[in-house]
Amino acid sequence: MNLREAVIAVSIALMIALLAYTIGAGGLGPIAPSRLRDLAVSYLINTYNPWNITKSALSLEAVTAIVWDYRGLDTFFETSVLFVSIVGVALVFRGYREKLGLGGKGLSEIVKTSTKVLTPLILIAGISIAIHGHLTPGGGFQGGSFIAVLLVLMSVVFSLDFVIGSGLTSSKLLMLRSIGLVGVLSTSVALVVLGIVLGTHAYIFQNIAREGSPLSMPTWLLDRPTGGTLLFFNLFEALAVAAGLSLAFLVLSLRESEVEEALGESEWYE
Amino acid sequence: MEVVPISIAAIAALLSVVATYLAVRSRDMLAAVVFSAVQSTAYALIYYVLMAPDIVLVYIPVSVGILPAVAVLLIKKTERYES
Repeated sequence: MNLREAVIAVSIALMIALLAYTIGAGGLGPIAPSRLRDLAVSYLINTYNPWNITKSALSLEAVTAIVWDYRGLDTFFETSVLFVSIVGVALVFRGYREKLGLGGKGLSEIVKTSTKVLTPLILIAGISIAIHGHLTPGGGFQGGSFIAVLLVLMSVVFSLDFVIGSGLTSSKLLMLRSIGLVGVLSTSVALVVLGIVLGTHAYIFQNIAREGSPLSMPTWLLDRPTGGTLLFFNLFEALAVAAGLSLAFLVLSLRESEVEEALGESEWYE
Repeated sequence: MEVVPISIAAIAALLSVVATYLAVRSRDMLAAVVFSAVQSTAYALIYYVLMAPDIVLVYIPVSVGILPAVAVLLIKKTERYES
């Protein structure tokens, strides 16, 4: 890197710093109002409000309550963007089969041993983030992407042969992803089905009893609040995201000799 | 806001600008991926200081774990050096 590039980098950084100082000092108008907006106040009051459950999500974390309860349908379509793109990846690489014994020994024994210690910790952290989504920051997507890092780490440290040999093939990951997606769908219509059986009204993505529909999901497990549907949504979303992102990584890391059969098949279409 | 968190955010923002510049200018694609991960780490720190822990938890694994892995796979299947 020569002097000219260094001068350009420093001057860009200086410009950003001066701009940040100007905005921070209120030079371009007020940044944020000092008092809470009415919408924020109503969410803060109603997120966990056992005295008025027809407006409450009974979740201790406001972000998860908004994401999966108040705006549940938005989140469903938002995550289906990811799932549709993974279906696209699986469709483009259809006919692709993993093969064992294509070389690759992984990294040294020291790295492998320390990764063996780290692997269960990452898995437990991911599951914990997912199932505590309604109590602490985090949720299904966060926990799922934590777990998806595990397959990336394992394929780098232990080699792809180890990952495929241990049973994490793309067809199994596709099945896990489908189980997660079916779980999300069935959680969202669970109360509707129950309402049809019991002869009362219920809404899609309903969590707690609302006006005109008295049904609500179980909100306590032993001595812990579960947030009704939020626990199930986070659990199944974590499964679907972890399996989906792992599948995308596994399919994109294909070797040349693995696609030869699929290429032979596709010539038939041309 | 207090002085300490906002100065941490400012330092992280400066680091991210330098890392972004180096990532754009780098001829070695592998180095560009590493610089991009450095920039993402600085952004994660800014998100944490600005009280968005939900974003931090999804930003770190995606931008430091999965995205560089996919980018490295792409570089392996194409060319490492930009001519």
